[in-house]
Order: sequence, then structure tokens, then C-alpha cells
Amino acid sequence: MTTAINADGQRKPPLLEIDDVVAGYGAGVILKGVKLVLHRGDVMCLIGPNGAGKSTVLKTVSGLLRPKDGAVRLEGEDVTTEAPKAKLRRGVVHVPQERSLFPGMTVWDNLLMGGYLMRNNKILHARIDEAAQMFPIITSRRSAHAGSLSGGEQKQVELARTLLFDPKLILLDEPSIGLDPKSRRLVFDAIRSLAAAGRTILLVEQNARSGLAASDQGAVLESGLVRLTGPAAHLLGDPEVARLYLGASQHARPSNNAPALSSALAAVAAPTPQEELT
Amino acid sequence: MHALIQGLILGVLTGGVYALMASGQTLIFGIMKVVNLAQGAFVIASAYLAFTLFTRFGIDPFLAVLITTPLMFCIGAAGQWLFLRPLRRENAAELSLLVTFALALLIEGILSVTYSTTYRSINTGYANKSFEVAGYTVSAVRLYGFLLSIALLGLLYGVLQKTRFGRAIRATVQNPQSAALLGVDATRVQAYGFGLGISTAAASGSIFGLLYPFQSGSHYDLISRLLSVVVLGGLGSIGGAVLAGIAIGVVSSVAAVLWSPTWSEMSFFVVLLLVLLVRPQGMFGRVERGAV
Repeated sequence: MTTAINADGQRKPPLLEIDDVVAGYGAGVILKGVKLVLHRGDVMCLIGPNGAGKSTVLKTVSGLLRPKDGAVRLEGEDVTTEAPKAKLRRGVVHVPQERSLFPGMTVWDNLLMGGYLMRNNKILHARIDEAAQMFPIITSRRSAHAGSLSGGEQKQVELARTLLFDPKLILLDEPSIGLDPKSRRLVFDAIRSLAAAGRTILLVEQNARSGLAASDQGAVLESGLVRLTGPAAHLLGDPEVARLYLGASQHARPSNNAPALSSALAAVAAPTPQEELT
Repeated sequence: MHALIQGLILGVLTGGVYALMASGQTLIFGIMKVVNLAQGAFVIASAYLAFTLFTRFGIDPFLAVLITTPLMFCIGAAGQWLFLRPLRRENAAELSLLVTFALALLIEGILSVTYSTTYRSINTGYANKSFEVAGYTVSAVRLYGFLLSIALLGLLYGVLQKTRFGRAIRATVQNPQSAALLGVDATRVQAYGFGLGISTAAASGSIFGLLYPFQSGSHYDLISRLLSVVVLGGLGSIGGAVLAGIAIGVVSSVAAVLWSPTWSEMSFFVVLLLVLLVRPQGMFGRVERGAV
């Protein structure tokens, strides 16, 4: 199932269509025909085991990796072979998993770099002011070197910086990775505020439970293929998904529906017959 | 004591010029991890240009900087585009050593053919002028050269810190992938960055030509000094290059005063070895990545 129905039951024109995309590095193939549709204003969380190709999906959308086959369409237009810069001009912003700030530059200079392609300073400053309402840190720590901020603060600055593009689509690769619980909460709160502000987000999250909880839609990627898509709440409530992909549950003792993390990971690592989960 | 302070003054003035030359070299390393072995040759080429502009057109070498600086910028950017850009990324760092050395030989060859290999010097009316300050002698050329170097270093700092282009350069140095994701065209930054690094050779060339006799092969000696300054300061660190330039200028002229001019030449490398024993990354270098 690739057509998403919105919460209010209305079908919206797809913002992003990933159509049978095959991609990889060198001769290797990581994505083996990925199909996904993302509608305007939706937040979709991609979950799945390590090496499933989640980050690779984002790279094919932002243009960092050119698909070997298949198509990426933005608002119906084929953008498969466009370079990152062209994608950026279309409003596709990619926040990579690694820290993407410039550590030796001030928070302010980092923001100005976010507006690098923008020739109009007035608009840029207006957008910085706008972003500061959601992320006050960019004004309170404006002269601090980005490298001196905590991991969670850096992520906030990164998210604020994406807003300067007035993005149509934000690609977030593992925004909570390597963060302490408090910072992680800040990041998921930020994602929810972005969603509430009507931004479209494609999110990759190892921390599947929190990721899905912050999203409208969910998709399960395994071995380079989309195994399952659906409303995030639906996936969160699905015992099979929980068993296979959400790992450790709240239960202290493994029950039938919620085995311990280690066995869930083992189940994911080995190909399982549980492919038709719908 | 008088001789020591006199040596100190001379060292600071000379060091400022080395600082300018080395800042361009270290900037280039910071941006593209290229050890530019042609930096000395560009300085000598600029000295010849200043020589020609002075002897043919009567343009003062300090004023000639207004012509040679943009010219060197263009030559540098074009040189990067033609010779360095085509290198495959995986082994660009190693190959660029050969390419920039070849570039140095090419420049040397062109200069030998154009000017022959006899030593030249630029003899302006103020070449031998000097000021007396509190009993110490300050050569006019050295003082003007020092002031010009400091002004240009300030300008370079301003460009890097305050302009959009400068921010793009610093961003590319600190996180190339992230810079690309924000729309920075790495190819263009590298070409212009190389041009900016080479453009510092223009003024240094004018000053070098005023201070010392030079010929087309003078760049070998110069590049070995520049490499010492850049490594001492920490590869990629402009602030480090400035301090290292001045430090080495001071050490060599003080050594000349205290011991002998022979030691002056050696002191460059002695200081370098001693510092590297303690801090292998140089005075201001970071272990992993260049910093601008």
C-alpha cells in the first residue's frame, strides 16, 4: 500500500514519490526497488534493521546518491538525476546523521551558511527570526561556537537551519543518534513542532518507537525493500511490528508478543517469513 | 643588547612578510589538503612582474600590488581549474604534490626563458633609506613591507570572517559534505580559494624583490622556508602561520646577531624540528582537520 490517507480522510497530491528505486555504492546494490509516497504535511518515519538502506533512501532523495534505476518525483516532476544543489533549490533539505554544523563557526555564522543560496538578506533575517521562535537557542547562543554546544543543542540549531530554506521536504537521518535522553526528548519535541507547523518530513530513526510516535506515517524497510507502510499509530499498535522492529518493549519480562531486544534483533537479522504483515 | 634588539626588530619585520606568504599556502592546504609546492615560484614570478612594472613603466613595487594581486588571483584560480581539479579525489593529495611541483618547474622555466637566469633586484629611490628610532635603524623597505603584509593579512582575515565567500571557505574546510548540502559549490570554492592563496604571493613578491636579489631558481630556497613556517604553525591554521612566520623571522635574525649568519639559515629548521618533537601537529594545528 503506497497511497496514504490523511487523518482527515482527504487524499492530498503526493509531494514525494519514490518509484522502484534501485541504488547502491559502486557495484553493490542496497535499495532493490523501493516504493514510497509521501504527502504534503505528513511526517513519515522509516524504520528497519541496520543495513536495511534507510539512510540510502534519504540520499537518493536529496541527490547525494544517484539511483541506478527507478525514479524520484517531487510534486510529479522527475528529479531522479538532480544534484543536491538543484534539490535544495526545490526545497529539499537533508540533515545527515553526522553532525552537520561547522564546529569552528559561531551559531550565527552557521545560520548564515544555511542561507548561502539566498541572495536576499532581508528574507534570510526574517526567516532566522521565524526559526528563533521555534528554536530560541539560535538567538540565546548566537555567538557561541557550534562545537561548544551539547549534542541536543547542535541538533536544534541544525533543525533551525533547515527552516531557513522554507523547506518543502525535510529529510532527517537519525536525528536522535548519540544523544542523551533529555536531548533526545528535545529533538522529538522539535520534530513534533515542525509537524504541527505543517512541514513535510521524511525521518529515519533507529529509535523506532519514538520516531513513529512523532510521525503520521510509518514504513518498514528491510533488505532494501519496503515491507510495510501505514499510519504510524497503526504500526506502533501492530504486535508483529512491535516484535520484529520496535525491539525492547516496556515489559520487563518477555511475553509472547514482546520478546527481548536480542531475540527481536536476531529475528530481524535472519530473513523471516513475516513479510506480509498486513 | 643593542644588537639583540636591532635583530629583534629586523626579525619581526621580515617575519611579517613570511607570514603573508605562508598564510596563502596554509589557506590552500586548509581548503583542499594540497601542499602547494609552487607557492615560492608564484612569489618569485610576482617579484619579476613587479620588476618589469618598475623598470618598464616606472610603477612603484608597492603600487604594483594593485595590479599583481588580482592577476595572481586569476592565475591561481585558472591553475587550480586546469591542473588540480581533474585529479581523482582518492589520490588527489599525493598527486597534487607532483602537480604543484611541476607547476613550480613550469613557472621557473618560463621565467628563465623570459628574464634569463641572472640575478635581478628592484632598486627604488628608497631602497637604501632607513629611519632612526631611539637609536635603532629601521629600513624603509622592510617597514613598508611589514605594514603592507599586516594590512593584507587583516584583509584576508576580513574576507574569511565577514564575507559570504569567506564563510563558504571556512565551512568547506570544517565540514565539506555539510557545506555541499547547503549549496556550496566545492569546485568553485576550491578554485577561488586557490586563487586567494596564490594572490598573497603578489605582495610578498614585490617585497621580496625589494629586499633581496632574485632569479628564477630562487623559489627552491623560498619554498623550503615557507613549508617550515606552515608546518610550524600547524597545517591549515592561518593564525599559526602568522605567528610561526614572525617567530622564525625573529629566531633567524637573532641567531645571525648572536652567532653568525650561517646559523641564521639553519635556525629555521632547528626551530621546526624542536617544535615538532613536542607538538607533531605544529603550534596551532589540529590533529585531524585543518582550521581556518
